[in-house]
Amino acid sequence: MKILTGIESSTAALNAERLRLEVISQNIANAHVTNTPEGGPYKRMQVVFESALAKQQNTDANGNLKPEAVQIARVEEDSSPTKLVYAPSHPDARQDGYVELPNVNIHREMVDMIAASRAYEANMTAIKFAKNMAIETLSIGKG
Amino acid sequence: MINGLFNQTNYQAAKKLMDVSVLRHEAIASNLSNIETPGYKRLDVNTAFEGQLSKAIESGQVNQLKSLNPSLAEDPNAVAKKLDGNSVDLEEEIVHMNENAMNNKLQAQLISGTLSKLRLAITGRPS
Repeated sequence: MKILTGIESSTAALNAERLRLEVISQNIANAHVTNTPEGGPYKRMQVVFESALAKQQNTDANGNLKPEAVQIARVEEDSSPTKLVYAPSHPDARQDGYVELPNVNIHREMVDMIAASRAYEANMTAIKFAKNMAIETLSIGKG
Repeated sequence: MINGLFNQTNYQAAKKLMDVSVLRHEAIASNLSNIETPGYKRLDVNTAFEGQLSKAIESGQVNQLKSLNPSLAEDPNAVAKKLDGNSVDLEEEIVHMNENAMNNKLQAQLISGTLSKLRLAITGRPS
């Protein structure tokens, strides 16, 4: 029994979207990194969402479906090919004069960022509604 | 007995519908949470519930109303519009959430109204 309904789902989503935003800013920050400790250019990271209950039994004692919270299954490397740019004067240039740049596309990251922040807002709104519903319930019988 | 005061069909129905609005909000929160989860199917209150409710109200049996047990189920009418099989639509969910909050408010006022009428009848003084 909880006062704010659906708060688990909403907070889990807020956490997940925040992590996604962090990964996106990491990608943007490293968009031009050509040399990493692992060697080669920075590889774009992406998050994979999954339902928290997907792997477990998703029903309560009476066999009814339970609401599901989202969680980040893993953060994985994007395996798409890196960009090659001809720049012989670059310190990380290869023998043939080409530099390997990360497979980060700034425009795509910006669009992802907007989607993540909108999803964050939507879950925030859900919490606001839950709060209003609780206030409504608590005011039963007044006046 | 005092219980008799509260055994009005409309009052019990309003209570049940308020429970349903809380349950539906849980479903909507779950849907919004999983808006980008691949393969997620949107949840809603079991579609059979509305039929059961109107049958119970028609029968006028308060016990039948009280024994109703709304539950969550995958929405059979939802169509996956995205390639990943996810059937949640942000705009739709927001509209449902607004409707649901209104519904919750309405039921709260119906319950409050019934209670204040009872109070009036008992004390003879309005509110």
